[in-house]
This record gives sequence, structure tokens and C-alpha cells, in this order.
Amino acid sequence: MVLKIFFPRCCNMADSGLLIGHWLPGQDSAVVLAVVHYPFIPGQVKRYLSQLQNESRVELAVLGSWSMPKEGQEGMESFLRDLSTIFPRGRWLQLSREMGKRGFTCQVVHRDGELPRGEGENCKGDNGDGGGVIFIHYDQRKSQPLFLTDKYDDGPLKLTHWQSEGREASIIVELAKQASVPLCLLLTWLLSLWTWLCSSRLLNLPPVRLVSSKLSTCVQLSYRTEHLQTVSSPKRALGHAEFMRKANIFVSFFVDVALGLLLISWLYRENRISRLANTLVPVADRVAKELQELLQWLMGAPAGFKMNRALDEVLGRFFLYHIHLWISYIHLMSPFIESLLWYMGLCACLGLTFALSVLSDIVALLTFHIYCFYVYGARLYCLKIYGLSSLWRLFRGKKWNVLRQRVDSCSYDLDQLFIGTLLFTILLFLLPTTALYYLVFTLLRLVVVLFQGLIHLSVDFINSFPLFAMGLRLCRPYRLAEGVKFRVLCEEPGKPLHLLMEINPLQYGSVLQWYRTPTYNCYPKDSWAALCKKLFVGELVYPWRQKGTKTD
Amino acid sequence: MMGQRRRAGPKGSLSNRTPDGIAVGIQGSPKHSICMVSDFFYPNMGGVESHIYQLSQCLIERGHKVIIVTHAYGNRKGVRYLTNGLKVYYLPLQVMYNQSTVTTCFHSLPLLRCVFVRERITIVHAHSSFSAMGHDSLFHAKTMGLNTVFTDHSLFGFADVSSVLTNKLLTVSLCDTSHIICVSYTSKENTVLRATLDPQIVSVIPNAVDPTDFTPDPSQRDDTKITIVVVSRLVYRKGIDLLGGIIPELCLKYPDLQFVIGGEGPKRIVLEEVREKYQLHDRVRLLGALEHKDVRNVLIQGHIFLNTSLTEAFCMAIVEGASCGLQVVSTRVGGIPEVLPEELITLCEPTVSSLCQGLEMVIARQRSGTVLPPATIHSRVQTLYTWRNVAERTEKVYDRVAKEVVLPLDGRLGRLRAHCGHVAGSIFAFVAVLDFLFLLLLQWFVPDSVIDVAVNASGPRGLWGKAGARKTKPSANCHKDTGTG
Amino acid sequence: MFRRDWTGRNPVSKCIIGSLVMGADSDPGAPSAVPWRKVLYERQPFPDNYVDRRFLEELRRNVGVRRYRYWPVVREAGLVTQQLSCVAAFLTLWWYMYQGQLYPFTLLLAGLLCALLGYGLYEALGGPRTEGRTRLADLQSAAIFLAFTFGFSPVLKTLTESVSTDTVYAMSALMLLAHLVTFPYAQPSPPGSLSLNAALFGSVCLASRLPGALHTFAMVTCALLVFALWPCLLHRLRDRAPRGFPWAAALVSLGGIGGLASQSPGGAVLLALAQLALTLLCPLLLLWLQEHKDNIHGPWDEAEIHEDLSRFLQ
Repeated sequence: MVLKIFFPRCCNMADSGLLIGHWLPGQDSAVVLAVVHYPFIPGQVKRYLSQLQNESRVELAVLGSWSMPKEGQEGMESFLRDLSTIFPRGRWLQLSREMGKRGFTCQVVHRDGELPRGEGENCKGDNGDGGGVIFIHYDQRKSQPLFLTDKYDDGPLKLTHWQSEGREASIIVELAKQASVPLCLLLTWLLSLWTWLCSSRLLNLPPVRLVSSKLSTCVQLSYRTEHLQTVSSPKRALGHAEFMRKANIFVSFFVDVALGLLLISWLYRENRISRLANTLVPVADRVAKELQELLQWLMGAPAGFKMNRALDEVLGRFFLYHIHLWISYIHLMSPFIESLLWYMGLCACLGLTFALSVLSDIVALLTFHIYCFYVYGARLYCLKIYGLSSLWRLFRGKKWNVLRQRVDSCSYDLDQLFIGTLLFTILLFLLPTTALYYLVFTLLRLVVVLFQGLIHLSVDFINSFPLFAMGLRLCRPYRLAEGVKFRVLCEEPGKPLHLLMEINPLQYGSVLQWYRTPTYNCYPKDSWAALCKKLFVGELVYPWRQKGTKTD
Repeated sequence: MMGQRRRAGPKGSLSNRTPDGIAVGIQGSPKHSICMVSDFFYPNMGGVESHIYQLSQCLIERGHKVIIVTHAYGNRKGVRYLTNGLKVYYLPLQVMYNQSTVTTCFHSLPLLRCVFVRERITIVHAHSSFSAMGHDSLFHAKTMGLNTVFTDHSLFGFADVSSVLTNKLLTVSLCDTSHIICVSYTSKENTVLRATLDPQIVSVIPNAVDPTDFTPDPSQRDDTKITIVVVSRLVYRKGIDLLGGIIPELCLKYPDLQFVIGGEGPKRIVLEEVREKYQLHDRVRLLGALEHKDVRNVLIQGHIFLNTSLTEAFCMAIVEGASCGLQVVSTRVGGIPEVLPEELITLCEPTVSSLCQGLEMVIARQRSGTVLPPATIHSRVQTLYTWRNVAERTEKVYDRVAKEVVLPLDGRLGRLRAHCGHVAGSIFAFVAVLDFLFLLLLQWFVPDSVIDVAVNASGPRGLWGKAGARKTKPSANCHKDTGTG
Repeated sequence: MFRRDWTGRNPVSKCIIGSLVMGADSDPGAPSAVPWRKVLYERQPFPDNYVDRRFLEELRRNVGVRRYRYWPVVREAGLVTQQLSCVAAFLTLWWYMYQGQLYPFTLLLAGLLCALLGYGLYEALGGPRTEGRTRLADLQSAAIFLAFTFGFSPVLKTLTESVSTDTVYAMSALMLLAHLVTFPYAQPSPPGSLSLNAALFGSVCLASRLPGALHTFAMVTCALLVFALWPCLLHRLRDRAPRGFPWAAALVSLGGIGGLASQSPGGAVLLALAQLALTLLCPLLLLWLQEHKDNIHGPWDEAEIHEDLSRFLQ
């Protein structure tokens, strides 16, 4: 069995002394944590260890001795060897460096009889028990609060280990931690008030519920509430994942609000709001005009298509009337638009995401006529497709068996066949007209949906992007480890093998994947094929939350 | 030149030293590296699948190296090891229909070549004529100069257009295959006719049944009634329509008769309709799909085993039924008359009336107590078909095939042209040439010598047993440490 | 190895001969005192690839093949010929209407007359009535036909307005061809749904090109008579008066040719040639091909279920 010794890199050049660390139970390996330098009193060392042990609840021990040859310390070797009798232990490691050589040698002394190992022995022992020694060098980080008391080398013992910098910063952090508790409590109370308000009877009436579930502002509001609840809960984060989640939400909340305030400061200067309102109405008007022209074009012979004249006329008139209604509605609204915009703009102080959601809602409301056209077209088209598909089965002498979910053959009566075929012929020849109307309005609809989808995508991005985790990965890559890798430092015959253990930081892609705050998980994601099928069959493609344009 | 590679490679490495810890049949007989190829393997369930598995296990027991190649089943892809180091390659090939892969004659060559070379295969053994992958592998193996064996598990007619086409393809595939194995004499006649083969290169080796899995237990029967058991897939070819006629006929006649039917399939609806119409819910039990381990528990509940198949190359089900001590009634179709001796089976014509007659006769005998006791039937059946015997006989085929010279390309082209008609022969001769060129290209890209040789799990230098022993030691701790993150 | 390459046409005879010869050079232990049996449950002293004399002895050929005779086949082919003529007659009528040489009223009157005559003949021939089908139901069906066609005829008239004439002709031709191909000549039943629907679709397409709504109505009614009701009558005729059937078929065929001849003599000649080939040459071809039938049967064949098992479910 090979003995593995984990050795901190910072102790590589330490002065001679004692090795402090612990044995890993069950595995034949030792972890060195620090080196106590030579002028020490053994009693003091023992006391110091027991004190540390009480504080940190880590089984610490003196593992062995460390010798670093220097001028004027020639007698060191034998002295360190004798120390093994003072610190009784199952095994005593004796590490020593030689000047001008990279690796160092190791001797293992067993209490029950001197049994030197490692020196001059091949590391890869092949007789089951008598293995060699492997040194694994590692970067020591503040993983355990072990040597907290020994920050400034002011103890009675001189140690070498990794030391953190910046005590002042940690004081600020401590203060912030203390202050955050009452703040959290206040926030929780406010939130509970807010949620109680939301859950009141009035807001849960079916129509209100329906509308609020469709408006992206409301959705964003509930979502933000939920996040704040998570952050402000006074309980400590239990695991790493929960802590990261809280931190991520907290940081992205702050960034969001900051961006929102930036937007407000831009928007409410130089009378931009009223200018915006003044351009909005003509734009809506213009859209309606364009639509009217489009309909006129469709009612002629669009793109050389010859359509059924009568049906074309009927459909065109119907839609024109709709546009007429819409224009009058816009004109009715126009005096109030500016003040509306002014008040709505205020919600940007809740965050950029809110501003974007409001924008999405405004677009949805202003393009309501397109949605209506789309729904009419789709319904008509869907009806035709459905009728044609079942009449096509009749045409072939088949029918759909509902019970067995399959197509059965069936012998129809003469009159059924006759009427069916007549209807089939009529529907088939009228299909191109309907399909063209459907196609045009679907394209318009898709443009709107695409725009809204982009807005939702950016809102989603701000909500879910793990800013904190990304920052951590950038500044402290070792905190997010994916694993470790070993590198051979030196391999000389007759010397133990030296390996360097390095931390493999997480890839940026996987950071994103792991720490991404889950959002909108509830909506069903359509694949492209499913979307195309839906469009072809004439099923409604819903605009609000689930969308084909979202392909994350 | 392919042939030379083969002989230079594995033959040298296959010394006849006896593998330790593995029982060896005949000392000194050559050991082969066999690659079983079929589209049908576990987790798919069926006769072919269990045949391949059991045969492979027995061949491993006899000291051969066996690997299995099939296509990926959903999530199950890559290499898996089964009992005794039976290595299974699940190759990423596209499934087309009924678990059979798409064939283009070429696209599987790189993968199969890699497997054959890695594993130092000497004999390629394809199973089932429905398996496109099996035919592909035969084709490529011949191109690479390997010996080939094919096992046909099914019967096929000659009447319709589809069978004419498939028979032509079978002719092409088998005309230069070294040896063919059929599971019954009827199957042999059928295959010889379909593929226009020389009957001399077709061996008959029946399927087998593990007799220890199917032991009788008369205490599980309800002797106040007479129970007829049917275990089969509920499809047209298994004669489920006949069963739908038999059930009402007999149930009206014998009030103490009940049916237990295990299996699933599109014809289940027929049985359900019959049960509904004649109100036989308490007397006809439909168990649905059965797992292999449950089959015995169903069989031992019955007195009579009924098989209504319309075609069958070798009927495993009736052997299983008889092994469980049941009286077997079956249709006289395909290879069924060859399977069981007359005193253990009642053969009927595939009509409702004939089957009813046969069943009534057996019921009468059962009532009068003049039937053989289950234990006697079991003891008679258990020695008839064993996998060891099958493996022994298959091994003889391998020995014989290994001595033969694989046709070089020109001989192969001549054989194709002469054997498969001018049009199809020429087309497939052209395909064979293309395949050969493709192989040369692949060998130029990645020479055989570059391809890693896989560790043998089974066979003369199989490491399966030893590896198991080594695994018990704790592995290096470093592995544990790397698992963080 | 002792493998032989066969180059003959018939695989079966080769194999049998092969098996006879092969007995000598087969593996050790071949001819033994014990006769070989075709069973698997016995270990026999023969190698696994042993080929016995009795190999393939259960092979049968051309089991249950029907032998045809010339004149009955010609008689059956008459059905195909007259259907072809029906289509030709319909097209002739349409052409007359399109040219304005035939008034819709005349056509309607003639149609009514034919329908009454045909109905009378249908009743006179007797035979089993479809269950639950009374004369009132027949009348009701006729009323539905007429009402729907009449109601829809203005719509039908404008239906193909925007579609180009060539497209309409191509579609109609395709549909009438589909009607001819899918017509159930063999099954003893009135027109199958696909063939009837195809014919109706084609005739609606054609009718929509006519000048007036009444024209359309008359044409669709006529299509109904020719493609839906006439096959019913003919079927009844074949069932009840087998002697009269060939005469009726011949009459319709000649009528179709004659009608076409009045408009396009070249077309009529072509049609006559096609009909001659169909009725006289095709049966000859069938008999000739019959000679070459070579079907192999044996124990490996999938057993056929000859009984009517649906009786258990009725």
C-alpha cells in the first residue's frame, strides 16, 4: 500500500520543525497543514494543539518532523529524530530536504520497531503491503478556520501555513451580517403584507386572474416577490447551492434596480415621455392604414393568385370593418396616452425587467387587432383543414374510429358519399383563399410574437443570469472547483514520487448551467417541428409566455 | 489479401493453452473468436434474443471468445458486459422498422470493421433473416476475408411479391456464406429453397430450452377444473383468430374448463371481444405481457398447453409447456411435428374444428386419468434439447468453417453472378466491389495495425474471472479525490 | 469444398438431384443401417448437415390454382369495357352541353326517364333488398340528391372560376382515370367509395365549367346516374339475369363508341380498339401467363384460415 502525504506548497521552503496535520482514517494518507518552526517547547506545542482541537473540532496531531538544512543547523537531523519519542504516535514521518535538490526524502518510523521506508525504495512497491510514498503538493486555502488565532504570528509558536490578507474587509462583512438581520425581518414583513394583499378575494376572481396571468408585468411582479422572499428569509443558507442561489438573486436584483434607475433618469429628462406619446399614436394609426392597404391588396389578385371571388370579398370586408373599429378605438384613447405612459414609466424604478415587461404589454395591447385577425384566420383555416381531413377519409371510404384511435374502413351509403364528395370539392376549392388570409395574418402575428419573445428573453436573461457565480469564477476560481488534476513534479529513481494537485476550476459554460436561477419552468417548450405543425394545422400559437421564439 | 491478414493476426495469438478456471470441452480443439451479430438482442425480448444469449454463454463455457454486436436500444449504447464476460456492442445505427436497422450496404462497414479488428474476430455469426444488420455484417465480413455462419430462425412463403424480393436478397446474402444453420428440417428445406443453396452446407441444430427453468409442480393446479394455458404473442401468425373460435366452442361444452392466456399483441382485441360476447370473464384470464421468469408460474397452473401457430420454424413454447409436464396440443405446421415425440403431443390441423377435436380428446384422457404424470413428461423432455448440446454442435460447424478458405474477391464476384441471376448478381457484385474499395480506403485512413486490440473478457485468454478477483482490492485513493466538484 | 454452383432456372430440381448425389461424399457416418427420420427429438447417427433421400419430399407445386377458360374471362372483361364506355358517354354528354347543343332541360328529362326505367327494371329483377331499405327511403335519398345538387349548383358554378381551364381538365381526367382504376370489378358490390368519389369529383369539376347553374345541376345529376346508379343496376343484372348481362354490357359499349363517333370519329376508333384489346386480347394474355405459373408449397407455408371466424363475434 502506498503512503500518500498531502503537503502544502507554502511550506515547501519553511524552516525545520514539526509537521502538524491529521491522518485520514481508513486511507493510508496524511494531510500536513502547517509546520511549527524549530525553537519550540514540546509542552507548548501540545497545549497549542489541544487548544486548536477544541476550537475547530478537527483531529490534529504532530505527524512528524521537517528538516530544511541551513547553515549552522547541522545537528538538527538527529534532534528531530529523537522528537518521535516525545510525541507518541503510530507512525512518525521524517521529511527532509537536501540543498540543491527538488524533491525531498521521507522516512517512516513505526513505533513498534524501527522500519524505515521510502528511502531508496521504489515508490511502486509490488509486494502488497510494502509500498512507497507519494507526495502530493497542494495549494492551501482557507478551507478550515484552523489557524484563526494565529493571524499575525504573535503566538508563542512560529508556524508556516497559508495566511489570508485583509482583516479589515472581513470586519465590514461581519458588521453587514449583523445589520442584515433586522433588515431581513422588515423585508419579510413587508412581503408578507404584499402577498396577503395579492391573495385577497378581489384579485382572485377568474377574469382578473386570467388577465394577470397573461400580462407579463404581473408575472414579473410575482416572480420578483418570490425571489425577494427567498433572499430575505432570515434562515441561514444550508448548503452551497442554496447560498449561491441567494447570492445570485441578490446581486442580479441589485443590478436590475440600478439599470432601471438609470433608465428612469434618462427617460424623465428633456420631456422624452410626451415626445414618445406623440409618436406612438401616429405609429399605431400608420399600422392600421398599412393593414387596410394589405387587405385591399388581398381582395384583388394578390401575387397573381386567383382566389375565389365571392369568399374573398366577404372575408376582406369583414376584416376591413375590424380595422375601422380599431382606428376609432385608438383615437378615443389618444388624449390619455401621455399620462398613462408617465405613470407606467415609474415602475422602472422596480427594475429594468419591469420596464421591459411593461413595454411587452403595451406592444401586446397595441397590436390587439392583429391578434384578432390571426385568431379569426386560424379558426377558419383550422375548421377547413379539419373538415377536409375527415372528408378525405370519406373520399377514400375510411372513417376514424374514436374508440380504437385508428382509421377503419367503412361502407357509406350512396347519399352520404354524394354529399360528402360535394362538400369536399367545395372546401378544397375554397381552401387557397382561406389559407392565404391565414398565412398573411400568421406572418404578422409571428413578427409581433418575435418582438415580444425577444423582450421576454432579455427579461429572462436578467432574471436568471448567475452574476455572483460568474464574478466568483472570475476572481476566485478555486472556489468553484470541478475536480482536481495531478501533475508529476519530479520522479527520480530512489526518491518518492512528487505530484502537484491543482484545482480544476469549473468551465464558464457549466457555471452558467449550474447556478442559473430557474425561471418560467412551467411553460411548455415547443420544438420547431411542433411549432410548424401547429401553424400548418391552424392551431393557435399563444403569445404570452410560451413561444416558439424562445429557444433557450 | 484480407484473408492473409486474418491468418497472420489472430491465429498466431490463439495458442491452444487451456484457460484456467474455465471448463474445456475437448482438449486441443481450436478455440474461435466469434462475433454474433443480430438486430435482436436484449433488452428486446424474444426467441432469437435468448437463443443468442444462451448459445454465447455455452460457447464461452467451452472456452471460445464470444462477443455480440447489435444496435443501440434507446439509452443503451456503447459496450456492456453480461455474465461471464460476454461483451455486447450496442452500435449507434438507425432503427428503421420493427427493431431492424436501415441498410445501405456500406454505412455500417467502418463500425463493424473496427469491432472485428479490435476483437480479432475469426468467425462472424449472424442471426435471423429479418435482421438487416446481420446481413450487413455477413457482407462486410466476407469482404474482410472472415468466415461466416448464418442462423435462420424463421420460415417464409414464396407466394407474394414481398417474399419474392426478400428471398432474392437472402439468396444474395447467403450464396457465399460459409455455412448456414437452421433450427429444424422444415426450416432447412425452406431456407435451401429460398436462397437456392446447396443443402450440404446447411446444418440443422435445434433450439434448446433450459430444463431447470421449466420444472413441473402439479400442486399449483386446480384439479377441480381443467385449465388450458396459451403463452404466445397475440398476433395473426400465432393463430389467435383460431383461439378466438376455440374458446366459445369449448367453453359452452365443458363448464369446468378455463383458459389462461399470457402475452400481448394486436390480436388481444379479438380475445377480449370473444370474452365479452360470451360472458367468459371468470373463465378466460388474459394476463398480458409476461416476463420470462413468470412464464413457468403460468405454465404450471395448467393441464393442457395449447399452441395455435399458423407457421413456426421450431416451437420453443411447446417444449417449455411439455417440460412443465403439460399435455401439449398444437397445430401441425412448419417444424412442429419434428419437435416432440408423438406420445407427448397431439397434433391437429389448423382449423377450429380439428383443434377442438384434439383438445376434447386430451380432456377426455385427462379426466379418465390415462395421461402421463407431469414428472414423467418432464424427465423425458429435459434431455431432448439442451444448450450445451446446441453449443457442441455449433462448435463443430465453426471447426468446419474455420478450415475453409474464404472466397477471394474474384471468386466471390463469380459466385454472385452465377448464383443470383444476371441482374441481381451483377448489381450486388458491383456493390461488393464498392464495399471492397471502401474497405481499402478505411484501411488507408486507419490501418489495422493502428486499431487498439481489445482486452479479451472471454475466450482462451479471457480476463473476466481474474479481473473480478482484482477488483476486490481497494483501488487507488486518488480516484476518490478526483470525484469532487 | 464440394460445393457446386448451380446454373439452371429451377432451384428445386437442382436441389433434389444434388441431395441424391451428395449422399456419397457427405461427412463420416453417412449411410447407416438405421433409416433417417425427420425428427429433432432423437439423436440420429447422421451429421447435422446430412441430406437424406427424402429431403424436400413434401414439396408441392401450384396447389389450388384455378384454371381459367377463355369465354368466361371475356365475359367478365365485358364489365371493364362497359365502364370505359360509360366514362366516354358521360364525356360526350358534357361536350354537347359545353357546346350548347344540348339543353339542360332535355338532359334532365332524359335522365328522369332513364332513372324511372332503370328503377322499374331494378325492382322487376327482384333479389334481396338491403335491410331496412324501403321505397320511401329510396325516394328520400333521391330528394336529398336533388335538393343538395340544386342548392349547391350556384356555388359549384363559381367554384373553379379562378382556376385555369387546363388545370380543371387535368384534374378531371386524373379523377376519371382513378375511377376506372379503382372501380371494384371483382367484388360483387355496387361502386366502392373511392371510385365513386373520384368520378363525382371529376364530374363536379367538369360541370363547373358549364355556362349556367342549371347546366351544372343537370350535369351533376347525370353523373350520379351514370356513375352511381347504373353500376348498381348492372350488378343486379349480373346477379339475377346472367344471360342478359353480356348483352347489356355490349350495348353500353357500343353506345359509348357511337356517342363519341358523333363528335370525334378518331376518338371513337381509338376507344373501339382499346375495348377490343381489353375484351379479347387481355384474356388471352392471362391464359398464356397462367401456363407459366410456378408456385412452391410445403410444410413451411403459413397455414391459411379458411373458415369464417367472424361468426363467433356476431
